[in-house]
Amino acid sequence: MPTVDKERLIRCPVCEAVNIDHGKSNVCRRCKSKIYQHQKFNTEKSWAYLMTAIIFYIPANLYPMLVIKQFGQEEGSTIIGGVVLLWEMGSYPIAAVILFASVFVPVLKFLLLFYLLFSVKYSLGNDKKVDKHTIYYITEVIGPWSMIDVFVVAILAGLIHLSSIEMVAGTASTAFALSVFFTILAAQSFDERLIKEKR
Amino acid sequence: MKIEIKSDEDLDQYVICHKCHTLHQEVTIEDGSKALCSHCSSVLYHRDDHLLDKGLALSITGFIFFILANSFPLIKVDIMGQEQVITILSMIMRLIESEYYIVALFVTYLVFIFPLMIFMIYIVLFLLLKIGKGEEITKDLMILLSKILPWNMSDIFLISILVSLVKLMSMLEIHMGISFWTLAVFVMIDLYMTRSIHLGELWKLKKIIYKES
Repeated sequence: MPTVDKERLIRCPVCEAVNIDHGKSNVCRRCKSKIYQHQKFNTEKSWAYLMTAIIFYIPANLYPMLVIKQFGQEEGSTIIGGVVLLWEMGSYPIAAVILFASVFVPVLKFLLLFYLLFSVKYSLGNDKKVDKHTIYYITEVIGPWSMIDVFVVAILAGLIHLSSIEMVAGTASTAFALSVFFTILAAQSFDERLIKEKR
Repeated sequence: MKIEIKSDEDLDQYVICHKCHTLHQEVTIEDGSKALCSHCSSVLYHRDDHLLDKGLALSITGFIFFILANSFPLIKVDIMGQEQVITILSMIMRLIESEYYIVALFVTYLVFIFPLMIFMIYIVLFLLLKIGKGEEITKDLMILLSKILPWNMSDIFLISILVSLVKLMSMLEIHMGISFWTLAVFVMIDLYMTRSIHLGELWKLKKIIYKES
């Protein structure tokens, strides 16, 4: 009777079926999707997406996110500038939400992905106790929340456009949207099997 | 540890936790209850004998609310005597007019096309499963669904509306439109569905349904 090692059972990310790990390339028995199509130990794809996201994050912080045109005057505010402005105006909860979604979440995600990508390639001493599956899960869950700022800019720009006062999206909104997009791709292309390999 | 596997079918009695990847053997549970992971206590699977009817009802309701959310104004503001309204589509048009094509593209997909697609797929999927026809199509639809589910951001968009309302509150008079409330209902249905209907359960249901016919 054939027996299979428990450690060799993997989960299909598409249909959640339990599959036997056959090594290099696996095809799910139920939905026929490829599981981990990137060959053995490939973290390059994830690295590339992560780097792109970090590069886009720089202009996202330097350029204005929202431009307010009032009586012929143009005034742009960056992400940090907007947070400071809101804080000075006394709307602390909103300042906190924006700070959390646009600064804290992306940076945390970069750091967590960095850690995951490093730790599956090189052993970082005694990190066996760290639950990397949970870390990966966190990066997947918090990722989309950084889109809040982009949506807010889209709503404000759509709502306020008069000849005397007008709000338009700034260059940073494009960069920021792309940065979030690439962090989500980086998290999705990370091969979860690598966590198991190093355990 | 070794386990015995005679054929692929035997693998169906196991389930791997989506959060911590611990292997579990499935046990029969009562109708309406759910099984939790022994390691991280996240939900492994539910047992719901009326999954199809419930899912179909919810997806049709969600679809109607989504259509309503897109046909009326989301927010109304009084600004210097002039009234300004916004809908999801007018917001996208405004982004295109100001030549922010990439942002417009993201917003269109994340808060309009993907939510619409998800609910349309749900309706077709539940109908097909209910009448027990079209095995290949249900398979393709479920694969497509799993690819676009992570890209649905209506819930985040709802929070964004609240954030922008608070931002504007100090300088303008703001009224919530009808669509704001319908969007809120839509997001609640959407969250409830993603929480209570796991794709793995639909695959299991599909196997039982098409085996019988």
